[in-house]
Amino acid sequence: MVHAAASLVTNTAGEPLLITSSFIDLTEIHRAQSALAVSERRYRRIVETAQEGVWMIDADSRTTFANCKMGEILGRQPDEMLGMHLFEFMDEDGRKIAEDNLERRRQGISEQHEFKFQRKDGAFVWALLGTNPIHDDNGAYCGALAMVTDITERKRTEAALAHYATELEQSNQDLEQFAYVASHDLQEPLRMVASYVQLLARQYQGKLDAEADQYIGYAVDGAKRMQRLIQDLLTLSRISTRPQTMRNIDCETVLAEALKNLQIVIEDSGASLTHAPLPVVYADQGQLVQLFQNLIGNALKFHGDTPPQVHIEAELEPGDGAVEPPHWLFRISDNGIGIDPQYFDRIFEIFQRLHNRDEYSGTGIGLAICRRIVERHGGHIGVISTPGHGATFFFTLPVNVTNALNDCDSDRRG
Amino acid sequence: MHSTTVILIVEDNPGDVNLLRRALSGVRSVSLFVVNDGAAAIEFLRHEGEYGGAPRPNLLLLDLSLPKMDGHQVLAVVKGDPSLKSIPVVILSGSNAPNDISRAYALNANCYIAKPIDLDDYDRVIKAFEQFWLQIAQLPGSETE
Repeated sequence: MVHAAASLVTNTAGEPLLITSSFIDLTEIHRAQSALAVSERRYRRIVETAQEGVWMIDADSRTTFANCKMGEILGRQPDEMLGMHLFEFMDEDGRKIAEDNLERRRQGISEQHEFKFQRKDGAFVWALLGTNPIHDDNGAYCGALAMVTDITERKRTEAALAHYATELEQSNQDLEQFAYVASHDLQEPLRMVASYVQLLARQYQGKLDAEADQYIGYAVDGAKRMQRLIQDLLTLSRISTRPQTMRNIDCETVLAEALKNLQIVIEDSGASLTHAPLPVVYADQGQLVQLFQNLIGNALKFHGDTPPQVHIEAELEPGDGAVEPPHWLFRISDNGIGIDPQYFDRIFEIFQRLHNRDEYSGTGIGLAICRRIVERHGGHIGVISTPGHGATFFFTLPVNVTNALNDCDSDRRG
Repeated sequence: MHSTTVILIVEDNPGDVNLLRRALSGVRSVSLFVVNDGAAAIEFLRHEGEYGGAPRPNLLLLDLSLPKMDGHQVLAVVKGDPSLKSIPVVILSGSNAPNDISRAYALNANCYIAKPIDLDDYDRVIKAFEQFWLQIAQLPGSETE
């Protein structure tokens, strides 16, 4: 394409002297204009279809551009936003913050920050802004550009979570308070009953018959049992309300401590204990000792005619890669009286006993404590057994952090 | 030792006061005083109000659950007062909660004893207390400051 121009040159008398003509090849210019139009369409499309709001202001903080999404976020038409001052889109508190933010832009700072805007309908909207100052060719500040994302929903969720956390904290404190009351106020009357019934027995020794002695025995026994129950309830509640001190714990040490505590029982029952090498886990040591002690204690207690044989082992389970992380599966097996499958779940509940007091002692809370400890560590607990052929209690515990990294490495190498 | 050891018992439960008196009844040269709440304990120690002529105790037997001012608070006041802190304080409480125990020692209790539920055990414990604190241990004198 060509642009042609011609002009007539005349002398002072008006007589034509010559004709000048010029021809400009427009092909390149047209090609450049086409390319520019294409480029402009491309960028316009990006801005108009973006899921983020795009907002530009000039040096006086007046809107020079807003895309559809930006209008949507603020509840306005993009056109009506043109020329409007930044401060018109927020409340009084917002203006103070925005003034500081503008100053940072003038200083050339680009940054990402949260801000609470006010929509045309008066409602507030929380936004995440990625802002950049704009400079002219001389480097002077001439406005700012922001990419804006509506995060109101996210803020709402955060607030709800914080609220629940406070409620849980309050609930825990209430539980702790209740446990304290139980510890003091329930035990005192119990002591009075037990002590004074025994005092009566002493004072009237020989003056009361055998039946009276038996009655006194029942009364005192009842009081002592009640005290043990209260102690157990307290132990159970403390597992939930006390903070855990989580560290990498060597289960060999835990086992040793539990066995030391059970020494008398082990000797009296003539038990034999074996175990496979035990791993290091990420757990609360005190609770872990309690867990091992309760389970091994049970294995020793519920034996049949033969002396108890108890075996403790652990194996690493890889997890399913999505929800279930890798964990250690512990097994404590015995050759005792076993458990009827219909009771497999019930035994982990508070005060559930399967035998009367003459057969086997206990308050029926040991396994409830075990379950609470395991679940607080994010694991689960259960039992497999055939009546008359012993039982295997199993539970899972989280892998310790270093172990997890080592396993990752060995996977890569292997 | 002194001619008479003065023990101040701070206990609100009459049943417990009685058990304590019975368990200590065989001990010679001991004078027992009883107050029933924490505020009265402080008044006794400072010779205030009705306790103007009260003797200075050689030892304090302090329960934790008391009306008006609980045992931990009494302990804090006694051990925080330069003129009172030298008096040995033995906590005798129905609670064996680890929190109660550690808090008592943090407030400088000299000793913590949990009252057993069984009467025979209780008598044994009080006997052991008496043997250690009243026979073996030396207690600070009755002279003030």
